[in-house]
Amino acid sequence: MDDLVGRYVGRTALVTGSTRGVGRLIAEHFLAQGASVIGFARSPGTITHPAYQHVEVDLADPMAIQKAFMGLHKSAGRVDIVVNNAAVLTSQYAMIMPPGAAQAMVNVNLLAPFIVSREAAKFMRKTKWGRIINIGSMAASLEPIGDSVYAACKAGLSTLTNVMAKEFGAMNVTCNTLAITAIETDMLSQLPRDKIDLIIAGLPIPRFAEPADILNAIDFFASEASSYITAQTLYLGGVN
Amino acid sequence: MDRREQVLGIIYAALESLNAELSEDRQVEIGPTTALFSPDAALDSLSLVSVIIDVETALTMEWDAPISLTDDRAMARAISPFDDVGTLTDYILELLAEVSPA
Repeated sequence: MDDLVGRYVGRTALVTGSTRGVGRLIAEHFLAQGASVIGFARSPGTITHPAYQHVEVDLADPMAIQKAFMGLHKSAGRVDIVVNNAAVLTSQYAMIMPPGAAQAMVNVNLLAPFIVSREAAKFMRKTKWGRIINIGSMAASLEPIGDSVYAACKAGLSTLTNVMAKEFGAMNVTCNTLAITAIETDMLSQLPRDKIDLIIAGLPIPRFAEPADILNAIDFFASEASSYITAQTLYLGGVN
Repeated sequence: MDRREQVLGIIYAALESLNAELSEDRQVEIGPTTALFSPDAALDSLSLVSVIIDVETALTMEWDAPISLTDDRAMARAISPFDDVGTLTDYILELLAEVSPA
């Protein structure tokens, strides 16, 4: 793998939800491989690196996202890779799901990737190169009880990705979904452990995802060699 | 330079940028009456999107405020702001008057 260190030199990657969990993992990976990274998150940045720029933005607010991109037009000047990772999860039976929590999931998990992708595409159309990777979930396929809105958002995210792939294809911009399985993060702690363990036990590869599993797929989609791979949803762990 | 000339310059620059990507036989004539979205328009839908994005980006940078040319208001008009360069200029001047009165 050593010969691939530095594979993102000259690239600028934008990662949403970069302060913790999978987003931080991906942001640090891009930095380690030579990319400049812009992190979007509601909370203050947690990464200290000379090539990291943190932007505090409420991803539930489309206007706030557009203002953040206004700033990027002045500062960064380019966005080559986008990873729409930020997500919120409230797992609850539909009949007692608070409407506000449902709305927040729609805003952050579905609308925000749309706004971020379309604004980033405006950069990518100038350079005629781009990679948009949306972080999906096994929930879209497994449809677990309690996750009606979350699973619907993630399923919708795949559809959104596929349509954007058609619109952006002529600009040499690929759009794909990486549907991850459970990984040990703060989000996971919001779910009943026995429920998660039961789901994991039923997977073809019955274990939690490791960081390397996710980063391998990220590198695959972001690779120069993947220019002919778009509108795909890749499920980890054998989910389909 | 007055504001109208400034806006026209931004629209012309967007059309020039589009022409740079089009083949010789698809070049768009640039002027105040250039049709953008009408039966006579030389632009296809993707070309129009490209022009709108360039104009929005330039306006946003110049006036330091997010300016959307394609909100519900634009779509609801009896006369589309995207008929030609003139109607687009008029519409942009209306929007700019709201964010930054002359």
